[in-house]
Amino acid sequence: MNNQSPVLRVDRLTAGYGDRPVVRDICFSITARQRWAIIGRNGTGKSTLVKCIASLLPLSDGTVTVDSRPLSSFSARERARLISYVPQATERSIPFTVYDYVMLGRHTWQPFLGTVSREDRDAVERALELTDLSRLTSRTVATLSGGEAQRVFLAGAVAQHAPIMLLDEPTVFLDPAHEAQFYTILDRIHDEYNLTVVAVTHDVNAALNRYTHVLALKDGMVFFEGRVSAFMKKTPGVLEDIYGIRFRRYEAAEDGLTVFGAWGCA
Amino acid sequence: MFIALALFSLLVTPFLGVQTLSPLGIASDEQLWYIFFHIRVPRTLAGFIAGAGLALCGLVYQALFRNPLASPFTLGVSGGASLGAGACIAFGVGGSLAGLSVTSVGAFAGALGAMGLVYLFAQLRSGTTTSLLLAGVIVGTLSSSAIMFLHYLSPMRHSYMMMRWLMGGLAAVTVPSLLVMIPVSALAAVVLMLWVPKLDQFMTGEDIARTRGVQTVFTRNILLLTTALLIGAIVAVCGPIAFVGIMAPHACRLLLGTSRHAPLALASILLGGTFLIVSDTIGRIIAAPSELPVGIITSICGGPFFLYILFRRSYRGYF
Repeated sequence: MNNQSPVLRVDRLTAGYGDRPVVRDICFSITARQRWAIIGRNGTGKSTLVKCIASLLPLSDGTVTVDSRPLSSFSARERARLISYVPQATERSIPFTVYDYVMLGRHTWQPFLGTVSREDRDAVERALELTDLSRLTSRTVATLSGGEAQRVFLAGAVAQHAPIMLLDEPTVFLDPAHEAQFYTILDRIHDEYNLTVVAVTHDVNAALNRYTHVLALKDGMVFFEGRVSAFMKKTPGVLEDIYGIRFRRYEAAEDGLTVFGAWGCA
Repeated sequence: MFIALALFSLLVTPFLGVQTLSPLGIASDEQLWYIFFHIRVPRTLAGFIAGAGLALCGLVYQALFRNPLASPFTLGVSGGASLGAGACIAFGVGGSLAGLSVTSVGAFAGALGAMGLVYLFAQLRSGTTTSLLLAGVIVGTLSSSAIMFLHYLSPMRHSYMMMRWLMGGLAAVTVPSLLVMIPVSALAAVVLMLWVPKLDQFMTGEDIARTRGVQTVFTRNILLLTTALLIGAIVAVCGPIAFVGIMAPHACRLLLGTSRHAPLALASILLGGTFLIVSDTIGRIIAAPSELPVGIITSICGGPFFLYILFRRSYRGYF
């Protein structure tokens, strides 16, 4: 497949809960190795959109295609080989050890009874190395800190060996140090597996500095989609339109890094 | 260790009771031969199957509902079975059907009816795990009310018989009832053992399980249908025996130190079966020449066991 042809295409997607559509008429396409950040206000449908792509919510209308084939035409196992999903680290009462949890990510590659192969063990060990978890393998997930647990969830998705990874607010409960560590690990994984990443985030600065593309949602519809550089040119105005609040732009003198700070009502 | 314990209990407990039997005595006395092979052995086998089945179903429900207090009777199966059996007793319906007493057949029908009703209610709402649990509570409560109403209407003798049935026990086990119980339980156990490894994925949350390629709805339906059959068959023969199904899985988690469901299922089967036949033997001996229903013994063990779990700080299997 051509590197520039879309690996994931979302076309006229409408979905919601019950009769109430949360996202409407969403269209965008992603090529291999791109890193997309989905931003927008609370309740605007970011997580709903990611859940639709992960086949966790039914679509009211539209299609999601992977390699030009509708996602709905794949079996559950085939889908799991294409798309992995990292949830918000809200659910931490998981009684498995770190090693066992990450091994569960290999389900789609294992036979029906879950027999573990040499390949599975290698994949898990590599996922643990990449996520700096090798020293915690025998710890129970329930006993880990928020940052460690988030890395465990990431490792589970890495072991799944799917080319597309969806992340739902992966750094929402992390302090700045753990957030930086998380993105370093994500860079590592992205490089090693040539991953395509789609992540929901509320952190505007992370979206603009850690990702290649931005999909901004407003009132359940696409407000902006494209490269971070194109988004940057429209800031801070576009941020103010999305969030309804004033933003200020700051540039670090030493490395030219641009960050934005929210500042009162628009 | 679990296998050795189970084998030892299976081999030894049939000899124990109000009168301890010896192999020589059994071989030489026709009456003892009859007691051993027609009463004690079937009772021990039925006890083992009941304990093993209830423990396995408890393990399945605790994982499916991600609830450490889930038991085989969480979905109202026990209430339905009790109502079925209670109705047969209250209306004085006697006789037998395919080797089972009509009370047992009524209990089996009640158990399946309750499960069907729970599933229907849950599907009418949203079909989620939470709606299943809620529907289970509703069916269980309605069944309890109906049983109380039957108690109120029934003469004292029928009311006592109902109460006695609700305690659960192995005294009514017969060879024909065992012959019905064995194939149903064996089939259910094979199906459950095949699907039990998927429960590990359920423990991480249904959304995660689905993104890893587990067909969660299909898996849940297979497990619910199979457990309903198994619990129905057990309750029909032995009545609703409390606590085995909730205790044995937790005891196995403590002893094995794992939460993986494949080893836990095997251990729960062995420990649940062993626990029930040992409890039954105790019930037969401590009140001799009378006997205590096994449900009383298992319930007596339940309280201290959960107290132990409550105060054991390092137990992270669930609590």
